[in-house]
Parts: sequence; structure tokens; C-alpha cells
Amino acid sequence: MKEKSQILGNHAETMSEEQLVKFSSTVSPSTTKSYEEMGKELKDRIVKLLGRSLAIREVDAGSCNGCEIEIAALTNSIYDVERFGIHFVSSPRHADLLLVTGPASRNMEAALRRTYDATPGPKIVIAVGACALDGGIFGDTYATTAGIDKVVPVDVYIPGCPPRPELLVQGLLLAVNRLKR
Amino acid sequence: MKESGLGNYVEEIKTKFSNKIKKFDYNHNEVHFHIRDPNDIREICGHIHLDMEARLATIIGTDERNNGGGFVIRYVFEKTGEDVFMFVIVSLGNANSFPSIVSCVPAASLYEREIRDMLGLLPVGNPDTRPLVLHEHWPQGVYPLRKEFDIKTKVARKEGQYEFVRVEGDGICEIPVGPVHAGIIEPGHFRFSVLGENIINLETRLFYAHKGVEKLAESMAPEGVVSLAERISGDESVANSTAYCQAVEKLLQVQVPDRAKKIRTVFAELERIYNHIGTLGGMATDAGFAFGAARLNILKERMMRLNETLCGSRILFGVNRIGGVRCEVERENQKLILEKTGETLRDFDRMAAFLKSKASLIDRLRDTGKISKKAARDLGIVGVAARCVGIDVDTRRDHPYASYAIHNGRTPQQAMQDQIEMEKRAGDAMSRFEVRIKEVRDSFDIIKNSLDLESDGLYAEIPEAMEPFKSALGYAESHRGQTLHWVMTGENNSIFRYKVRTASFCNWPIMEFAVSSDIVPDFPLVNKSFDLSYSGNDL
Repeated sequence: MKEKSQILGNHAETMSEEQLVKFSSTVSPSTTKSYEEMGKELKDRIVKLLGRSLAIREVDAGSCNGCEIEIAALTNSIYDVERFGIHFVSSPRHADLLLVTGPASRNMEAALRRTYDATPGPKIVIAVGACALDGGIFGDTYATTAGIDKVVPVDVYIPGCPPRPELLVQGLLLAVNRLKR
Repeated sequence: MKESGLGNYVEEIKTKFSNKIKKFDYNHNEVHFHIRDPNDIREICGHIHLDMEARLATIIGTDERNNGGGFVIRYVFEKTGEDVFMFVIVSLGNANSFPSIVSCVPAASLYEREIRDMLGLLPVGNPDTRPLVLHEHWPQGVYPLRKEFDIKTKVARKEGQYEFVRVEGDGICEIPVGPVHAGIIEPGHFRFSVLGENIINLETRLFYAHKGVEKLAESMAPEGVVSLAERISGDESVANSTAYCQAVEKLLQVQVPDRAKKIRTVFAELERIYNHIGTLGGMATDAGFAFGAARLNILKERMMRLNETLCGSRILFGVNRIGGVRCEVERENQKLILEKTGETLRDFDRMAAFLKSKASLIDRLRDTGKISKKAARDLGIVGVAARCVGIDVDTRRDHPYASYAIHNGRTPQQAMQDQIEMEKRAGDAMSRFEVRIKEVRDSFDIIKNSLDLESDGLYAEIPEAMEPFKSALGYAESHRGQTLHWVMTGENNSIFRYKVRTASFCNWPIMEFAVSSDIVPDFPLVNKSFDLSYSGNDL
């Protein structure tokens, strides 16, 4: 119980176990570390844990394309995550980690599940963007499943509409740090 | 002059079909023809499309059974160069089917299939009876846009198989691609039938990103739908929210302040710039020219950072509100815009000249993904895709909105030069590349000339109550082309029906024609050269 209240203060009592897990694995913007610092830390962790690089497969499960713009920005010459050992791969079969966006539209449900199954273990799933957390503005309707974790298990949640590239890297760092456990 | 334009169309259609039209009325630049008998729509739509040479802009199906109108279908046509939208409106009463107009208006096919899926109305005579929006795992009898359908309904999945067009013959193979793609892009499925490397047939299958936007709007407050409109397609947020706000403003007869109109113009052009630069970079990537892509993506990032400074969002969310804009552009920000866009334009010009001097890049672009003017006209395509083959459509000029009217002054000589340039465009990836470069430059000019902001307010007060069952059409030109938002009010300040048709919905069918003389490795380049949205199509 002490642990709970450390994370959540007074809200701890009212939160279910499931909400608590989701809360503790949701990234909140860092005010102390710069992008470069986080990137260096990420690189060290990746080298230590995975040998050389972290292979990411991006899956759009019905997003508005906003999150894709920011994820694609990670690969431009300014953010350039490749220098931290992060590589976007073309197939889930080559991936260590899935970055999933969108409210998980019903029409993408089967494809997302198959992509997850095709990814070799151990694997990490990160839900990116407000829709991916709980459906966001698109909510829980006939056409959505209201969150990526309704379809596949999610390890880390990155909020934002869309999350900035800095927050994406911070989320990757959180995910890689959990890989040890 | 505008009124007389409307009048001419009314006269022409009235004299020809006087006994078939129940009544007609006006709503700003819309003229509505109410048809007596659904069996006449093919003849009337055929006349408007073929003889009057009007383009099919959209088809809107509504469920008005509760207010005694039955199912109602509105066919919207526009004529290039005139600020008029012609609505052919027909009520089906209790019938569950309507005659298809595909035989005279080919562009109608997808709209009719959409109406069948979402409203359960059968287009009699449409040869394509396959589902479009609701994939094969949806059971029969689920019609989300019918009023009795609850948005929260969870429908059980069923097993099913989608029938792709089969190409058969010696040595012909199928290549299935997607919905999960190799790059960081949206979901869609492409089925290639190939002989060796040559594409014999391509079939696109979309709607993987269908999120129920139109139905969702019916359960939201009109002000909330602005945020939803921004998220129809993340990269055309300003265009879509502007079109939606304009529809509601037209309904409420609200006069938007001039300052707000100019701010909308500035943000719309900032959006066009960062996206066009991104697309040009994407084309360089897909042609295997990484250096060009890297340089252009730096410029895109620079523009996105400017966006953030101005409105707090890198992709321009939160600019619009009903009645005007949320986002002020202070004097120091006006200076910042001039400074940053000036810098970016200088670098962009240098980069564009450099790219055009690379023979290996030009060789990939020229004659790749070529479309014909005939196919483009028949499918009613819009935006860069239409302009690249010499079809001169641009909502900013044809239906001036925001503050675009002030940029439309062309001397007869300029107009003629523009027309000559249009005629030279070949419809290949190279022409789309060049059109985008030109439009980026034009956008910088428009921004420069829009920054003398008036000092009136950011937004107009909006009346508290909306009259129920009134409708209006809003429109804007996104970087992909025309986007149309049609809004009908319901009781208690609600939205009764929200119909969105983005440029991508019009333009996707041309892709199948564009690649028909290409090889498989050219497909990503052709696809990027059109730069269509999946989410904006699937809604």
C-alpha cells in the first residue's frame, strides 16, 4: 500500500489494480533530462541489454496519422534516433518492439493481433498517443476497441495527441529499462 | 453576379426537367433541386455531369425517417470556375434501394457502396456489390448511420473472405501488401497482379482505419466536433477544421472577423508548406535519393517547430473554433513567421534547384505513375493530382473562403500563362513533383501577403440556439485537394448528420490507373507522389 501511495498520493485508494499498472507504466514528460541525455542513456541500455540495436516495427491501428508524423520525425536528421541504436524495421519478424498507434479500429484488430503473434519473444509493446491508451477522442464505439491493450498486451503507454519526439524517446527508455526485469 | 450564376443553372435545369422537380431553393452558394421521383435521378445527374460538365463533389445519404423524410440522398455537383454547388435531393420514402448513377457518373461508385454499407440502401445497377467500409468480418444487417443504431454497439465478428479481382493466365502472380506496411505509414491493403515485374492490375482495399467519425459527431456537441475534424487526418487538421467551422458558420449566418479569416489563411498555408516539403522528401526517399530526403526533412522539421511556437502544436491542432480562431498571431510572431518562412524558402529554392539537376532522380520521376486526363475527369479527382494533369481546380480560387479572395487577382496575361503551363503538365510523378514545388512557393507568397492583420476580433459571438434540420456545406483546399464537410443540425443544438469527404476519397481510385504501366518497385514512389491519406479516406 505504501508503494501505491508513493506513486499516486490520495488517488491510490480509488484505483483498481489494473488502473494502477497502467498509471505506473505511463510516461510523463521529463523536466530534468534533455533529449540528448535521454538518447545517450537509451543507447547505453540498448548496448548493454541487446548487444547492438533495438529493432522497432511501427503499427498503425487506425490512427489519424498525427502520431506517425512524430514517429517519422524521430528518423529525420535532427532527432536521428539511429545514432542511439534504434532502427525501424520492415517486418514484425525482425522486431524487438512494437510501437502501436490508433484506437485499434475494428478493421485493424485482426491485423494487429497477427503482427503481435509474428513478433518473436521477448517482445515489448508500446501504445503511442491518446487514442492508443483508451480510444481517445474516438472513444469506445462500434468501430473501435477503445485502446491497444484491448487487443494485445501493452507494456508502456505514451500519452499525447500526438506525443512529441522527446516523449517518444523517453517512453522507449522506460520500456528498455523494464526489459531487464 | 453570384446570384445570376445560380440563376442560370436554375433556369437551365428547370426548363429541361420542369415536371420532375418538385421545388428548388437557395442557401448561399448552394442551389437545391428537390426531385419528385427517385427513378429520375440518373437522367438529371447524367445531364448535370455530362452536358453541363459539372463534377460530382459528393453524395450524402441521411436517415430522416423520424422526421418524415424517409431516407434522403443528396447528390452534390460543382462546376469548375464557378462558385456554385448544385444539390440534387431525392427522398426515397420507405424504399430500401435507389437507382445507381454509375453508368453516367463513374465517380459515384464508391459513394454508393459507402451508402449501402452505412445506411443499408441498395444501389440498383452498381456492378460492384462488395462491402467497402465494413469489412468481411462484419455481419449482415449492421448499418451504423441508421438512427436506431446505437454507437456503442459491439458487433460480433464473423468469418468472411473478400473477393479480389482475379487476373489469370500463364505466369501471373499475386502480391498482397499490407495492411501493415514496411514503412511508418497508415494501414491499407494493395493487391498486385503481376507478370514478372510488370503490374497487370492493382486493387486497393482501404477502410482499415475506419473509426466511425461521422456517427461519433452525432453524439458530440458542435464545438467538440472541431477537435474531431482536426483528427480526421492529422496532417490536414487546419483544412478539415476550417471546412467544418465554415459549414456551421454558414448555418448560423455568423460573420467571421477579417483578422480571423487571415489567420486561417496563414495557418492553412503553413500546413500546406510543411506537408508538401515532407512529400517531396518522401518522393526523394522512394526514388532512392537519401541526401535530398534528409535535407528536405530538416526543412519540414523547421516548419513544424514554427507551427509549435505559433499555436502550441507541431501539427497545428487547436487553431480553429466556430466563429473564428483560437490562436492569436501577435506582432512579434508575425515577424517570426516572415523571418522563418523567408529562411526556409531560401533553402527550399536552393534544394529544389539541386534536386532538379540530378538526372538519376528526374529519370525515376519522368513518365512514372502517369495518369490520363480522361480518367482523372471521369473519377472527379481533385487537388495536386488533378492539377498535375492540367485540370485546373482549386477550391481556394473556385469557392473563395477565409481570406483567399484577395489573392485571386490575376491579370488576363497571368491567367493565360497559367493555362499554358497547365496544358504542358503530363500527369506523371515528375509533374506532381513540380506542381508541389510551385505550390510551396505560392504558399510562402500568400502568407507574406496575409500578415497585414486587421485589428478586429479573433472570433464572432455565436448564437446559443441552432435551428434544427438546417444544413450547410463547408469546404477548404487541403494540401491534398478539396475537402467537403456537410453539416445538418438536429434538435437541442445537436448534430443530426455530419458528412465528410476529403480529397483522398476522390483521389484513391486513380492510383489503380496510375501504376498500370509501371513495375512493382515504382509503386511506393507513385503512391507517395499522390500523398493520399488513409485515415481521411476511411473516417
